[in-house]
Amino acid sequence: MMEDTDPDLSPSPSDQNSSSPSLSVCSSPSLSLPSTPSSSSCPAPGPAPSGTPPLGVISEGPGELSLVIDAEVAQRACQEVLQKVRGGGQPALSVTIVKPAQIQIREVEDDPGSVKSARRRQRHNPSKQSWLLRLFESKLFDVSMAISYLHNSKEPGVQAYIGNRLFSFPHDDVDFYLPQLLNMYIHMDEDVGDAIKPYVVHRCRQSISFSLQCAWLLGAYSSDMHISTQRHSRGTKLRKLILSDELKPAGARARRDPLALTPFCPAVSGSGEHGLSPSKRTHQRSKSDATVSISLSSNLKRTASNPKVESSQDEDSSSSSDSLEFETGPPVRLAPQREFIKSLMGIGKRLATLPTKEQKTQRLISELSLLNHKLPARVWLPTAAFDHHVVRVPHTQAVVLNSKDKAPYLIYVEVLECENFETSSVPIRIPENRIRSTRSVENLPDCGMTAEQRAGSFSTVPNYDNDDEAWSVDDIGELQVELPELHTNSCDNISQFSVDSITSLESKEPVFIAAGDIRRRLSEQLAQTPTTFKRDPEDPSAVALKEPWEEKVRRIREGSPYGHLPNWRLLSVIVKCGDDLRQELLAFQVLQQLQSIWEQERVPLWIKPYKILVLSADSGMIEPVVNAVSLHQVKKHSQLSLLDYFLQEHGSPTTEAFLSAQRNFVQSCAGYSLICYLLQVKDRHNGNILLDAEGHIIHIDFGFILSSSPKNLGFETSAFKLTTEFVDVMGGPDGDMFNYYKMLMLQGLIAARKHMDRVLQIVEIMQQGSQLPCFHGSSTMRGLKERFHMSLTEEQLQLLVDQLVDGSMRSLTTKLYDGFQYLTNGIM
Amino acid sequence: MSQVEKRAGLLRRTSSSKKPLKEKVVLMYDEIFAKEDPAKNNPRFWDELFLMKVNLEYLESKLESVDGEEVQRIQDNINSLFHHCVQALGEEHQIKVVNALQTLCALFRGVHQKNKSASGFDIINMLMGFDKAEQRMKDLMERLDSLLCGDGSESLKSLCLKLLLCLVTVTDNISQNTILEYVMINSIFEAILQILSDVSSRGQHGYDAVVLLALLVNYRKYESVNPYIVKLSIVDDEPTLDGMGMVVHQALTEYNRQYKDKEEENQGGFFSTLTSMVGSMFIADADEKLSVQTNEAILLALYEAVHLNRNFITVLAQSHPEIDIATTPTPPTRPHPQHHLAPLMNNPELPLDPNLQTSNLLITFLKYASIVMQDTKDEHRLNSARLCLIILTCIAEDQYADAFLHDDNMNFRVNLHRMPMRHRKKAVDKNIPSRPLVCAVLDLMVEFIVTHMMKDFPMDLYLRCVQIIHKLLCYQKKCRIRLHYTWRELWSALINLLKFLLSNETTLLAKHNIFHLALLVVNLFNMFITYGDTFLPTSNSYDELYYEIVRMHQVFDNLYCMVLRVSTNTGQWKEAASKVTHALVNVRAIINHFNPKIESYAAVNHISQLSEEQVLEVVRSNYDTLTLKLQDGLDQFERYSEQPKEAAFFKELVRSISLNVRKNVSLNTLSQDVLLKEFSTIS
Repeated sequence: MMEDTDPDLSPSPSDQNSSSPSLSVCSSPSLSLPSTPSSSSCPAPGPAPSGTPPLGVISEGPGELSLVIDAEVAQRACQEVLQKVRGGGQPALSVTIVKPAQIQIREVEDDPGSVKSARRRQRHNPSKQSWLLRLFESKLFDVSMAISYLHNSKEPGVQAYIGNRLFSFPHDDVDFYLPQLLNMYIHMDEDVGDAIKPYVVHRCRQSISFSLQCAWLLGAYSSDMHISTQRHSRGTKLRKLILSDELKPAGARARRDPLALTPFCPAVSGSGEHGLSPSKRTHQRSKSDATVSISLSSNLKRTASNPKVESSQDEDSSSSSDSLEFETGPPVRLAPQREFIKSLMGIGKRLATLPTKEQKTQRLISELSLLNHKLPARVWLPTAAFDHHVVRVPHTQAVVLNSKDKAPYLIYVEVLECENFETSSVPIRIPENRIRSTRSVENLPDCGMTAEQRAGSFSTVPNYDNDDEAWSVDDIGELQVELPELHTNSCDNISQFSVDSITSLESKEPVFIAAGDIRRRLSEQLAQTPTTFKRDPEDPSAVALKEPWEEKVRRIREGSPYGHLPNWRLLSVIVKCGDDLRQELLAFQVLQQLQSIWEQERVPLWIKPYKILVLSADSGMIEPVVNAVSLHQVKKHSQLSLLDYFLQEHGSPTTEAFLSAQRNFVQSCAGYSLICYLLQVKDRHNGNILLDAEGHIIHIDFGFILSSSPKNLGFETSAFKLTTEFVDVMGGPDGDMFNYYKMLMLQGLIAARKHMDRVLQIVEIMQQGSQLPCFHGSSTMRGLKERFHMSLTEEQLQLLVDQLVDGSMRSLTTKLYDGFQYLTNGIM
Repeated sequence: MSQVEKRAGLLRRTSSSKKPLKEKVVLMYDEIFAKEDPAKNNPRFWDELFLMKVNLEYLESKLESVDGEEVQRIQDNINSLFHHCVQALGEEHQIKVVNALQTLCALFRGVHQKNKSASGFDIINMLMGFDKAEQRMKDLMERLDSLLCGDGSESLKSLCLKLLLCLVTVTDNISQNTILEYVMINSIFEAILQILSDVSSRGQHGYDAVVLLALLVNYRKYESVNPYIVKLSIVDDEPTLDGMGMVVHQALTEYNRQYKDKEEENQGGFFSTLTSMVGSMFIADADEKLSVQTNEAILLALYEAVHLNRNFITVLAQSHPEIDIATTPTPPTRPHPQHHLAPLMNNPELPLDPNLQTSNLLITFLKYASIVMQDTKDEHRLNSARLCLIILTCIAEDQYADAFLHDDNMNFRVNLHRMPMRHRKKAVDKNIPSRPLVCAVLDLMVEFIVTHMMKDFPMDLYLRCVQIIHKLLCYQKKCRIRLHYTWRELWSALINLLKFLLSNETTLLAKHNIFHLALLVVNLFNMFITYGDTFLPTSNSYDELYYEIVRMHQVFDNLYCMVLRVSTNTGQWKEAASKVTHALVNVRAIINHFNPKIESYAAVNHISQLSEEQVLEVVRSNYDTLTLKLQDGLDQFERYSEQPKEAAFFKELVRSISLNVRKNVSLNTLSQDVLLKEFSTIS
């Protein structure tokens, strides 16, 4: 059983290709290629692991160029550490270790899934080290446990071991704990830092996005330190190292072995198949571009390309030179993305100076249209789940969000999905105007009227509407080949019917229509258009958010010059400038952890963690929840109670649509009620609760959690927000659905309690060195732990849930708080 | 001449050995105008000449004073002068380049002034000599091109553009300027584009470059293949197009600003009288300058860009937030050039002001149009207004432009200027709601329709106006865009227009085919009546349309009577009038259907005067018994084409622009003292 899961123990390096999990992950798509660090053809450089002290093996200073942290080295180092642990903990023969370990494993097997029990036992085990070792080597040892041991263990050997074990976990799993890892790196003692650093450096070498992610988080989590210590802290140094771009991918080193690289060059510069080593530039820069200075400010400047300039370039590069301006020269691997983010933040800062929403909106649109000129480029949205290049920001779709003094805004971003954004070639720019007939009649949703219907009523009318076919979107593909006579299109291929000639055609049979039909059609079509909110300059986001996502995607795709490409995708992101998103990130992690716990325990609670990107201590990005508007907007624009709104949107109470929306509502309410209770989420006014098109509620804005609450007014003493309106949607306090709600909460709490450690750990590590208001006071962790009520029986828990629900329902403060928000912020 | 003397005095140092009263350069000019080859006695003659400060007045007057006979004799020397000018352009010594440029300017101008009637070929012969002309002009254009594109002094570039402008406008009719044939062959289009694409060069030379381009495009536009037309139409480089848009934008903005200042000045009230009093104390002659001239040259450039280049349409909607303007560096120390356009290039008050709205070219253009369209009596303004409407026509026909005009996400407040009129108050600017841009276009059209019903009827402008509305409606109908616009204002404006046509039938008929306009107007109503379901914003608006027609039924009745009368008589308008009778079918059906219903409703309910709500009620309940005739081709329109219809207009327009540009250029090139100083200190 152990053999197949435990590559770390296998002493022979020849095994490494077979089963090591680290291999399959690190080497990304190009598994068998020489440039990947773990490949056997490239002998592991660096000092031989045998003679040196084990911890030294993998520590890498910024300037040292000889070290490649690859799986092989890591693996070997793991063994070293293990041996040391083994030797230090128990000087006896190794045989004696194995026996109890097997017993231990069997015990674990008997009690499947109970990691905790195993862990608890470890603590009291006299032969601690060996138990620990068994645990580390067991199947059950996952990232969560690794992080927790890294945090709790005082033993440098253990820390170093775990640091090495990190290499063997899937990237995605470790990425989830990246904030924890980096926070430990910044704020904990040197041993932990040394254990973590090789892994981080290794990953930075591999990936631009990981590098930036680290740099941003390091900056954000270092910011709470005193300014004098901050400057010299480990975190700041590592951040500088990353941003200096010295952490080139290991592939760059392969230069020593020119033979290995040469065969791949043609493929790289060729048809846009992604290359092998991320460092290999995919475009040959044109002469003129190469002369552009590398200074950051010029990165953003487009090289002016007009016929004159381009004539000096070769055909191929001139077409793509426009799209490359974010990357200038080889050393700035990270620059395009950093510039992109910087310009988005700059926009936010400038918007904040404008007084009215309307001005902000206009300004936003115009700023974004300028940004568009610099796209496409090797930039991406870090909140997205797939690799892509940003090609265009449909600027007219952007909206300023409701906020009193800051200017968060939401942009939609058109991207082209690609296999690997670091190596796939950046798409060629297509000018805005290449899309002409943006909304030709053919593409229109017929406003609920089928073509036959209209033909029926207008049967004898000749259809002149196809006059624009020559301009239709389908042509775009061919348009890539520049047609010199394009301008002639602007003269007409329209039939030159003059008004006169047609009206005087009297040979035709006259066609009659009833005025009543026209009027009826008008009101029918108006009624059939899906409910939209009325445009309100003071609340520009309401309309934009109300529009169904699919509808928006279709509409933007139609209007985009890139829309015809099969890998076109639309993303959206909220840009926050001047807001600290570190708490949001913490909440996101907790939510995601709880979500996976509930999923694992098969409790049908519904929550929607939305992705957070922390860029610094006062800026970041949020992945918007699509198809959702805030309860405030719902109430303001519909002027209906929540239940009536549900009836309007989903149909009468007995319909399938309503029932499923109601079920969604209940499941999400239960999920968020628990979250609000556990995390003590405050500031729960209707502007911070969204309602999506399927009836789920989604809480947003976790600015006040754990130990912090707004203005300390003592409002919102109830456990969570449960207004009578909510209860009405659930079918009243005596309905089945309401009981279902309480039952879900109980199940959810039991499940969460079972895996409490996984939640606590996330919060606890982040508390280290943090000045965030949510950690204010000393009782944050204790309070959180207590809210899991480990000591209560399930019956007692049920009672607790009932009490919480009753308390929240009866709570005056909720009402009071809403009133307070209405008075101060105009939020209904 | 005294000024010349004074200047000669300034340069005494260089010409100390000569007679005290004559500047050395003048003496050298005299040598050129002698029969002998000036270089014969002094092999360094040409070298020295270009080190002298140019005396433009003298050289030009000299050229003018030469008469036919003499010309033959001195032609060799003039050819030689031209040749050496061109060569001097390649000199490293910048003073020489400056002087050569100015000398060339004087040559072109002097020769043309003298020989206004002469054929282009004679002029070419006189300047360059036939056999060498091609080579000379090729050299000249290449040198200018490299000066314009090089890293040289900005003042030098500016001078190059002045020379080109001077050359292009040297004849009244640009198409008769035969020298331009060489400018066609040796294109400087790319140099112009390069100037426009670069932020800093655009700031300093953008205006001249754009005007030059607009003029070059108009050279023998209809007779031959003009390479500038071809090239302009395929430019798709966004920074360049944006740059061009920016130049136009700034010029129009400056005009709007000046107009606004002046308007505020002229407005009554204590404060304004006070300021104008104070103002007149200090800037007595500033007022003169503010008599805001229309700027047809820049408008022509806008037209050519919109008309020829389909990529330019996107630039119209390109917003210009201040950062872009703020990064424009202020030109180096350069004297405030005299002509009125200069300040706009480095306008100091441009906007880090948060209250200032972001604007785009289209908005600025609409504001500009609203100003020039107010008063069309003066020739320039009439031309400007016509050109504005032509540009709007092109815009309204463009799919992409229509898409952003109607884009619900792009709302703007557009403060159109409204003529102060007796019967209405000036609208308070601040209360204009933020709406899609098409609303502003419609407002502008309505405004024009209401304000120009006068004896001297601008028929042409009215036709364009109504056609623009029609084109916009066609787009809305096609794309099912339900614009929230107060259509009622448009309806009543159109009905009033019909009323005006009726009451001035005889006077108008003497000059215009009023039936054509009437037909277009009636067909607009037909659009609403038959296709209202596809683009009206509410069901109520359809009722209101009927209400408006029924309310104003007398106008339609009278119109019908009139057209029926004319069409039954024989005469030149028979055909045109009969079309209107046919077009009126549905309007009459509506009137004949609802009027009795309304009367009987009044009778039954014993009400003498029905309220609007009551009439609407009657309308709503009686739709079903009304049958309408479906008319063909309501949503078809004739697309704009410049030739042949507009060719004459553009010829005249270009002529007037040429005159104007020539005037400004001459003012400017003459005073390059500072420029010279700049170079003399450098070198």
